[in-house]
Amino acid sequence: MTAANDKKHVSGAVEKAREIIATYRGPKIRIMEVCGTHTHEIFRLGIRSLLSGDISLISGPGCPVCVTPVSFIDEALMLALEKGCTILTFGDLVRVPGSEMSLQTARGKGASVRVVYSPLDAEEYAREHPEEKVVFLSVGFETTTPSSCIALEKAIGDGLDNFSLLCANKTMPAAYRAMMNTTDAYLYPGHVCAIQGLADCREMLDLGMSGVVAGFTAPELLTALAVIVRKTQEGTPFLVNCYPRVVTEEGSPEARSIVEQYMKPCDSVWRGIGKMEASGMELKDAYAAYDARKKYCLPVISGREAKGCRCGEVLQGACSPRDCPLFGRVCTPEHPTGACMVSSEGACSAFYLYQR
Amino acid sequence: MNLTGKTVTLAHGAGGKQTAELIGQVFRAHFSNPYFTADDAAVLPAPDGRIAMTTDGFIVSPRFFRGGNIGKLSICGTVNDLACMGAKPLYLTCAFVIEEGFEMDQLEQIAGAMEQTAKEAGVAIVAGDTKVAGKGQVDGVFITTTGVGRIMENVHTSGSLAKPGDHVLVTGDIGRHGCCILLERDEFGIEAEVNSDCAPLWHSVEAVLEAVPEVHVIRDATRGGVGTVLYEIAQESGTGIFLDPDAIPVDPSVRGVTGMLGLDPLYLACEGTLVMIVPPEKSDQVLEILRAQKYTGGAAVIGQVTDTETGRVVMRTAIGTQTYLPQPGNELLPRIC
Amino acid sequence: MCVGLSARVVKVNGSSALVDASGARREVSAKLLADLAPGDYVMVHAGAAIAKITGEDEDEAQNLMEGLLTL
Repeated sequence: MTAANDKKHVSGAVEKAREIIATYRGPKIRIMEVCGTHTHEIFRLGIRSLLSGDISLISGPGCPVCVTPVSFIDEALMLALEKGCTILTFGDLVRVPGSEMSLQTARGKGASVRVVYSPLDAEEYAREHPEEKVVFLSVGFETTTPSSCIALEKAIGDGLDNFSLLCANKTMPAAYRAMMNTTDAYLYPGHVCAIQGLADCREMLDLGMSGVVAGFTAPELLTALAVIVRKTQEGTPFLVNCYPRVVTEEGSPEARSIVEQYMKPCDSVWRGIGKMEASGMELKDAYAAYDARKKYCLPVISGREAKGCRCGEVLQGACSPRDCPLFGRVCTPEHPTGACMVSSEGACSAFYLYQR
Repeated sequence: MNLTGKTVTLAHGAGGKQTAELIGQVFRAHFSNPYFTADDAAVLPAPDGRIAMTTDGFIVSPRFFRGGNIGKLSICGTVNDLACMGAKPLYLTCAFVIEEGFEMDQLEQIAGAMEQTAKEAGVAIVAGDTKVAGKGQVDGVFITTTGVGRIMENVHTSGSLAKPGDHVLVTGDIGRHGCCILLERDEFGIEAEVNSDCAPLWHSVEAVLEAVPEVHVIRDATRGGVGTVLYEIAQESGTGIFLDPDAIPVDPSVRGVTGMLGLDPLYLACEGTLVMIVPPEKSDQVLEILRAQKYTGGAAVIGQVTDTETGRVVMRTAIGTQTYLPQPGNELLPRIC
Repeated sequence: MCVGLSARVVKVNGSSALVDASGARREVSAKLLADLAPGDYVMVHAGAAIAKITGEDEDEAQNLMEGLLTL
């Protein structure tokens, strides 16, 4: 969400929520905001400064840019520089460093890289430029993946043979499971849940993991945190949908079905966490003609992470950005070393921009 | 002279008869004043006191946009830079680099906008230069303008002069030029009615400085927007700047567009909006004067200068907390996450 | 991980919808939501309407806190 959604008047309910999170005294409560947009908004709104010292917030792995491995950027660079493809991408990925350079740097070396708002715009670009080999960098979680599939469906319908996807789409459940011991409760990503409904969160509840589904405005974030504090004190695992105006029990079956039609789960490498089983999505074999890796015969690339970068530990809440020797010295938003500094949602970038 | 269908050729830049024709038909026709002669340099009366001098190059794509074109922009940019120093714009020069094949009637429209804007700002275009570059060597037309102005007596403005306690003003709603250009490029499929704020602001500044010569800082919030300018001022003056985001005027459509793309209006360029930093006891008066002027009716106080958090810009949030405004730095990229 | 913007549906054309966010308009995909109608508010992400919005955040906060405090 953005500043446009801020409300000027803070109601009594919000005041009460604020009081709860400010005055809590007791056993330490560790809350992981799984979603990078939550991280960004929590910093932008200065919410950390409102928390009692007995509550700690951990910035989790829910930023698709941060968890995208270096090798993915290297693949995109190879498509652009060696295979002569036009790369269309969300703006977020343009500055992410690959092993040698970023897409932005590659543009200076003649690579064709264009920023789009939506995968559908990439499809339209391919339709209007039949002479170009257009590759869309398909990243994102459950919220974003359906848009890639809609674009693919459109490309097939339009009979395009110059449009393909380089997929690094990821799904959250494996990460929810992998992180559950580092935290007491999740602030679940509101817009992932808008698509998925509450099923994934209920599975976590069955494993004993607490959490609330949260929206992105100040009232929503404050009340969601207050609910966690109060419910934690009750002592039994809980799940509360604090974002019912957007998130329903069953989410969007339409979105899940279009993804299921074109993609299948695959093992996937998360930067900083490693490979997790069934934590990614790739195109089904029937759509190999639209899979950039297959279409342009990309070799398996193993990217080279920057030395000394602790993004991995930051992503797992094992260390604060300030603990990284590169933070703020070698690694800044202008010259990011690790992915957590590139995306405005990354924990390092948020720390650097809002708190340093 | 009907220029429809004609284009600029390399011969127009060769210095011969066709160059003379181009200058005569397009530039002299619009920039006519006693100082603009065929001689090698303009001969001008020297102004009294201190003068300010500035230069700026203009490259904008597209060249024509809602609320202006590159010609109007090239005058406003230099006029406003002079105005920021409290200098009445007197003389301007302009240098054109034109791509071979450029349409004459477009050039004519650009020159027409320059004439009109210069007239409005009360500045004379006294000299010019035209070069033609081969097809593909430049993108359409690049314009560089240089301006000289006479600084008003008793006026001393500089980014280093912001003082703790001063009020921070903007002369209108922010980010409109940047947003307008973003929309005109039509890269993101978004439609909104946003006009560039591109305007010559000397008369607004003059009215303020005549009544309140004690203004400490005036700065043009062009490239990088208001956020960038505030960081510059905080660093140059060794102060902190506290902003009240609710007080920052932003056109609703600009908010809608930036919301869709995940951008912040504080980092979008303005071409007709200035940041002013004034002693607190003068801010009501300055505001009243600005609001009575043509292009600055939307002026507002947006924050205050402090002696804490030096070199930083701090936002007071809607819920009463404080955070740093992120430091400006990179190319603006729409984000999904 | 997913920036969303709330916008009002102006027009629905089959599988796409024209949405308006305080004056900024864009065609977005309407494929992920059944029965979109003009006047609906939706959450938009990466060019698709991903969810209907059925209320205000302040009211939602109010309801939640009431529920929480009466426990």
